[in-house]
Amino acid sequence: MSTSLLTERYVHEVVRRLPADQREDIAEELRTTIADTVEGRNPADPRAAEREVLSELGDPVRYAARYTDRPLALIGPDLYPTYVRLLVTLLCTVLPAITFGLVALDVLDDKDLGPALGGGIATLFTLGCEIVAVLTVVFAVTERVRHRKGVVDAASWTPDDLPEVRQPEKAGVGAVASAVWDALLFGLIIWQHTAKPYRADGERFQVLDPDLWSGWVWPMLAGLAGLVVVQVARVAARGWTVPLAIGNAVSQALFTLSLAWVLHQKTLFNPDFLAHTKDLWSSSDQAYSGAALIVLAIGVSGVFKSFRSARG
Amino acid sequence: MLACLALLQKPSYGYALLETLNEAGVTVDGNTLYPLLRRLEKQGLLTSEWNTDESRPRKFYQVSPDGSRVRSGLVREWRDLVASISRLTKEG
Repeated sequence: MSTSLLTERYVHEVVRRLPADQREDIAEELRTTIADTVEGRNPADPRAAEREVLSELGDPVRYAARYTDRPLALIGPDLYPTYVRLLVTLLCTVLPAITFGLVALDVLDDKDLGPALGGGIATLFTLGCEIVAVLTVVFAVTERVRHRKGVVDAASWTPDDLPEVRQPEKAGVGAVASAVWDALLFGLIIWQHTAKPYRADGERFQVLDPDLWSGWVWPMLAGLAGLVVVQVARVAARGWTVPLAIGNAVSQALFTLSLAWVLHQKTLFNPDFLAHTKDLWSSSDQAYSGAALIVLAIGVSGVFKSFRSARG
Repeated sequence: MLACLALLQKPSYGYALLETLNEAGVTVDGNTLYPLLRRLEKQGLLTSEWNTDESRPRKFYQVSPDGSRVRSGLVREWRDLVASISRLTKEG
């Protein structure tokens, strides 16, 4: 056998990826071809020439794939657009829906909001990974099955699949309304602190818990201020942009998360104020948890919408 | 592919065919040509035979009757294409 070890190793790497019945034939031909090519160059150093010839033939995996016409991509160009579309849809709809549903169930089961939210984040992560993994496996298998059957159609797309073009915002009425609302909220929080509007028994009380002023009211106020700035900028920019959506997400998180936390701790209202208003309405624990959930849901949906239209 | 079908009227083997093609100005890489020959054989456009007369056993390929028909069709398509392109580019 005139072929060297290097050629043998190459041939072996190629043929072990081929169907068993073709292996011997192709191996024999490949050995001859490599030897012919090396010889054809009249090399002074046959070893170096052999190396050169083998590197020109390239990666044995690719070379073998050319014989079998096997796809070298996990998901080929035919299926890739569908794959991305489906992945985005599932991650944007099913994932948040299930996560939110589970958190809501936990809370209704009288679990505390904190652990319920922790569970929600864990669900978001594991379920997200599962969706990506399962979808990828399904598409990879489909790719191979289709390939074996020789189905080659880039079709199955019709103009009906085109998404609607989102209308650009008119004069930003929504943005102005949000800005005014957030500014109003900001003003109200300050006002009730300084003016102490609630009067009873000749005393004046703040509505919100005064202890908040040495803690959680600050991120809430900062978040609200951020929201106002973002909404004004949105009017100026005539719609959402990605940096604005990010700013919105940060401010919204600051405000929403601290508000939800305060609600969850049941430390939003001034205890003195609550003591006086007990006759008017009594607040159960569930009302607090429910309110916290609603605040979170509104925050999340707002952030989601802003990103959607920023990408629009 | 058309060049292969044209050249393989006479039986030839992988490396010799590559050389002939390169001399004729059709540069093609071995890692494209050799698998292509196999695929054409699988599609029934080429027939092959091991020849052990020489120093090394070599696989000789030749165009089958089916291959000849496909070749004529491809030649016609090729000429049409060349004619269309040359008509289009004559103006400039």
